[in-house]
Amino acid sequence: MKTVAIIKNYNQANEIKDLVDAFILPIKDYSINFENYFTLDEVDKFQKLGKEVFLAFNKNIHNSEISDLKEKLMTADKLNIKGIIYYDVSLVKLKEDLGLKTDLVWSQEHMVTNYGTINYWHDKGVKYAYLSSEITKEEINEIKENSKAKLFMNVFGYLPMFTSRRHLVNNYIEYFNLEDSGKNKTIYKEGKYYPINDGSHGTTVYSDYILNILDEDFSNIDYLVFNSLLIDDESFKEVLYNFKNNIMEYKFPFNHGFLYNETVYRVKKND
Amino acid sequence: MTKPELLAPAGDLERLKIALLYGADAVYIGGTFNLRANADNFTVSEISKAVKFAHSLNKKVYVTVNIAMHNKELNKIIDYLKELDETSVDAIIVSDPAIIKLAKEHTNLVIHLSTQASTLNKEAALFWKNEGVSRIVLGRECHMEDIKDIKDNVDIELEVFIHGAMCASYSGRCVLSNFLTSRDSNRGGCSQICRWDFDLKENGEELKGEKPFTFCTKDLSLMKYIPELVNLGVDSLKIEGRMRSAYYIATIVSVYRKVIDEYWNNPKEYEYNLKYEQVLRRCANRDSVPQFFNGSFGKDVQYYNGRMEVTNQDFLGTVLDYSEGLMKVQQRNYFKKGDLITVFGPNDEFDMVIKEIYDENMDEIDIVRHPKQIVYIKSDREVAPNYMIKKALYPIDK
Repeated sequence: MKTVAIIKNYNQANEIKDLVDAFILPIKDYSINFENYFTLDEVDKFQKLGKEVFLAFNKNIHNSEISDLKEKLMTADKLNIKGIIYYDVSLVKLKEDLGLKTDLVWSQEHMVTNYGTINYWHDKGVKYAYLSSEITKEEINEIKENSKAKLFMNVFGYLPMFTSRRHLVNNYIEYFNLEDSGKNKTIYKEGKYYPINDGSHGTTVYSDYILNILDEDFSNIDYLVFNSLLIDDESFKEVLYNFKNNIMEYKFPFNHGFLYNETVYRVKKND
Repeated sequence: MTKPELLAPAGDLERLKIALLYGADAVYIGGTFNLRANADNFTVSEISKAVKFAHSLNKKVYVTVNIAMHNKELNKIIDYLKELDETSVDAIIVSDPAIIKLAKEHTNLVIHLSTQASTLNKEAALFWKNEGVSRIVLGRECHMEDIKDIKDNVDIELEVFIHGAMCASYSGRCVLSNFLTSRDSNRGGCSQICRWDFDLKENGEELKGEKPFTFCTKDLSLMKYIPELVNLGVDSLKIEGRMRSAYYIATIVSVYRKVIDEYWNNPKEYEYNLKYEQVLRRCANRDSVPQFFNGSFGKDVQYYNGRMEVTNQDFLGTVLDYSEGLMKVQQRNYFKKGDLITVFGPNDEFDMVIKEIYDENMDEIDIVRHPKQIVYIKSDREVAPNYMIKKALYPIDK
């Protein structure tokens, strides 16, 4: 089991380098659902911190982006990184066509939900799979027992619930001629606040809670992911420190998400 | 260039027959593992009946098997795929690639890739072609230039949504239902949270327009772009809406049938018909726009008026029979003697004024006010079962 942190800035990475085994760096223009993004030129300085580095290329790839994506992937492949996290299937095709040596991490956010599909991608040369957060602990353990791929899973942080190409916040502000101060935004419903971000590639809505399953034993999982999105650097570092030192005291309450909360999909019988 | 298929949704056998009779070349339906888990989905025996009916008309049936599987579905899917194979369905529509693998290992099913896979580029299309997928239902975020480039570079059938409701998110990238209602959207439990109202806050302070914040988008309509879609070589033009009514299906399908045929049969003389647009708009009760196809996904494609789909009660009834100058009609909305109505069938449409109405005892009446009431309307023109009647849009001498 290794710990991996999603990074917001270099100072943060430098501060926590002794507390984690790996970094995830979101790549500018090719990743979404993160707080900050990096160019490929910046990757080197993070690598010098001596940790495994995974690059996130996890956006839906539009046809017009393919040509530039090829160049970015070829550049990334020369950086001696540990892996590339992808959403769009085009990356699997391009890895083969371009002869890239860098391993891939299948990360289709809400669809990494069974070991059969993980093994399908593994057979296509995808070495890692990043589990969805909407599955139960029982399912996770069953996946681990039956998967050929190494697994990532979220254990701490806000979770993305919705990703759109549309600029939903900007559209609303523009439609009603409102003033946008650029501060952090949420949408509110029935006592709950959901962070919402409208960036250059569209809109993302996050969970109303910070997932915190650090009281659960997932030592069987290969990479446990700590997401620093919307969490201040000091608190994030403290979480990592306590986890590393097995101190079961966190300033964020435990929240098990879907670990013990199986979703249903049929509310009436029809077969 | 081949003439594109018109592909319609069907929530049950009745709507399947309506869709095919009103001009669809093919229908797609849901079985056990599909993204409308709470619809009246087809059993395997109903799928067999549907296939026999469609094939008798030389038309096709596709079955959606487009969930993102969890472990427990892995154990059930092979038997279900084998059962589908025995029904002779023309294809299954799949998003989870594990199902593609299993279908190829255990059946001879033809495989279409669902829009849930969000295929937006030619490299992804090539990947799926190499995996044995025969058709890709493109992601709805594709611009027409994207479609052209994919079609020009990948020898695979392309299916494009042309009409109906839109996900506000990238397909497959929304689990609002999971978080807010514990219903799994990627296994058919979507509870349409995107149509809820929310308060938008900035640093805790409300950022409030005249109406609440919502994700809700206007519907999609590419009726204006049928010539472009035909010329792009798109193989299948798809209408959304497996939960929609028979009246909706009949209306939308028949309009698109006319538009496709009018352009295909005489492209040089083809003219866009505003009346068709009006028919579509009144039927759906929601605004519809081209969305990403022409690059428009700004503020004007959003709905900020809450759920304002006010029923216009245009649909008046379904014709059950015709004999001796009388249409036997089952009422769906209020109508009365003297009303101007449009009577329409699969290949027929005419306006008339209701002059005589009789109840089931053949007593003459003036008003039909009861839902599902059976009445007889005098009509000199012969009609047939499955014709429908609606309020007329124009004066009878238009």
